Amino acid sequence: MSLPSIKTLLAVWLGKGIACVNRTLGRGGTSLPGMAALKVDPALIKKLVSQHRQVIVVTGTNGKTTTNNILAGILIRAGYRVAWNRAGANMKSGIATALIENTSLLGKARTSTALLEVDEATVPLVLADLQPAIMVVTNFFRDQLDRYGELDKTVALIAEGAKKIPGLKLILNADDPLVASLAQRTGRDSYFYGVAASRWVSRVPEQVREGCHCPFCSHCLEYAYYHFSQLGNYRCPQCGFSRPPVHWEAVDPDMAPGITFYLQEKEERWRLSLPLEGYYNLYNVLAAAAAARFMGIDQKIVAEAVRTYTPQTGRMEEFNIGGKRVLLVLVKNPAGFNQVLRSLLLKEGPLNMVIAINDLDADGKDVSWLWDVNFEMLAKAPVGKIICTGLRGADMAVRLKYAGIPEEKLRIIDDREEAVEEGLNLIGPGETLYVLPTYTNLFPMSKILSSRQGKRK
Amino acid sequence: MEIKIAYLYSHQLNLYGDRGNIIALCRRAEWRGIRPVVVEIGLGEKADLKEYDFIFLGGGSDREQQIITADLLRYKGHSLVEAVEEGTALLSICGGYQLLGQFYRTATGEEIKGIGLFNAYTVAGKGRLIGNIVIETEIDGFKRMVVGFENHSGRTYLGAGVKPMGRVLAGYGNNGEDGFEGAVYKKAWGTYLHGPLLPKNPFLADLLLRQALEKRYGPVELVPLKDGLETLTHERIVERFGKKKKKLFAGILSKI
Ligand SMILES: [Zn+2]
Repeated sequence: MSLPSIKTLLAVWLGKGIACVNRTLGRGGTSLPGMAALKVDPALIKKLVSQHRQVIVVTGTNGKTTTNNILAGILIRAGYRVAWNRAGANMKSGIATALIENTSLLGKARTSTALLEVDEATVPLVLADLQPAIMVVTNFFRDQLDRYGELDKTVALIAEGAKKIPGLKLILNADDPLVASLAQRTGRDSYFYGVAASRWVSRVPEQVREGCHCPFCSHCLEYAYYHFSQLGNYRCPQCGFSRPPVHWEAVDPDMAPGITFYLQEKEERWRLSLPLEGYYNLYNVLAAAAAARFMGIDQKIVAEAVRTYTPQTGRMEEFNIGGKRVLLVLVKNPAGFNQVLRSLLLKEGPLNMVIAINDLDADGKDVSWLWDVNFEMLAKAPVGKIICTGLRGADMAVRLKYAGIPEEKLRIIDDREEAVEEGLNLIGPGETLYVLPTYTNLFPMSKILSSRQGKRK
Repeated sequence: MEIKIAYLYSHQLNLYGDRGNIIALCRRAEWRGIRPVVVEIGLGEKADLKEYDFIFLGGGSDREQQIITADLLRYKGHSLVEAVEEGTALLSICGGYQLLGQFYRTATGEEIKGIGLFNAYTVAGKGRLIGNIVIETEIDGFKRMVVGFENHSGRTYLGAGVKPMGRVLAGYGNNGEDGFEGAVYKKAWGTYLHGPLLPKNPFLADLLLRQALEKRYGPVELVPLKDGLETLTHERIVERFGKKKKKLFAGILSKI
């Protein structure tokens, strides 16, 4: 093994220094240390990651943070020493930060497995450096930043990148035609997971229709049923491309409270429960369990790690403020927002919410996507009040008005702290307030809720 | 009363938020007791567009644009032009706006024929024009600001007989050069202000609604609506993005 160069050492020290300052100041900076370190040594990621025995990449549009964190929990329980980017910082800088954190001052990795969530547009840029053994892909939805066929380009670039990694195994979502198409497009060994038909599927599509076209011949796909968005059991009438047979299938899912389902593997069927809500989280736990089983981890370890999973900021994070429950859930694109709304509709009692919409770079400057979210589903729901905040709180309120929510149930409160306070006033002990922020509102909201939780303890 | 709306290529021309305009027209009609009827007309379908009071075309991805242009020329273009000549109102956005012009010249110099409703043409440009946009226009003799968001690589130039929709106060508009945005011919409107244009500019929504209803019912007075939320949204966008200098200043401040 070669000694790290001075440049690499300087980069690691700088990164660690910044991380240390960040911690002291109580800032959760998850990409700054890596960003600075990469300026000193641009090849840092390759140098640090190559010291790991195996590298696993998790990518896709939605659910990669949750999938990555559940898988990390499983691997750690199984005795692996894992470096992973837990807070969802998934660009180059975030990956570098996670690796630096698990590197000694002498530049040696303290971990043997690197489990990296990677932004789908970043995958083509880093795949050659990472040389992963396994890549898990969750789904490909149009993000708010994606317009004019950017997604098609991204998927093509990921396929190109994957082709160049010898021995790469793909763990793919069979229910998403774009994801499943990676098997043929890359020619890599592929293993599929998917959700079986149940009472949750629908025969009609939602409005969000990213995957209507066959990835191979552009003909419109036919669906036997939909789970949500373009996820479902599809077939192309022109070229015959269809949902592939799955190695791991979620059967008989039950959604409330928490997610329970049976995992069907060949002839065997065993039970998994996850303390999270929302149909989309069923996919996340399924992807993580599939990857873990592919790696040969024992069923019992998987089940136990999943059962005790604690969510990170904004991925259905729960707070208890003086006996009132607050759920914090990140919203960032129509497909994700629709899923969150659907999971809220399964609840009993009045729905009280704080929705915080910003339009800064990380949120997407164009808030037009709010009009592709199917807020119309709330019109028939028992909505208490919806408080709109953030730089685009007024836009949000207008959207809700046109979705059929009576104006007297809508309020615009610009100050985030005040909005939360007002939201808490709306509910009684034992009831739940849902706080739904876009990205740049997420951490401020989490901070407000944490401090309110602390005060009343 | 009813308003019959033709929603062209709703499956292909459905980039972010464009259907917000259909939602806005329908709600604002319903709130006044006018029944909206929306008919989606897709690829390969022939339609007599003269039967409609209002026609809508949204924006699409570049890939879809060519398919749509061919279909429009073949099945609907003639009928669409006739409908507008006979007084049907129309709103076209971004990609939809471009293909109603004379032609679209691609980066390789190829000219894709449009249906020529607007005497205008579009040229593929280097780099996309993206951002919040505020324009000034005149509606019923009053100066009004129209707000929106643009994201286009095509640069559109207007010819004789077609008026711009307004003058750009902040943003790029038709081509980023001549300071104009959009096109108006009779009751047909074309604009780069994509997504939910009408809910953010309720006075424009009502103007289009009136223009659509006029065709069958003659001049109509619309009952005023409570537009508090819409007006607030509109004002905030004007306030934040309406003045170029202020924006620049704020940009410098944020960098210090
Ligand atoms: Zn096909």
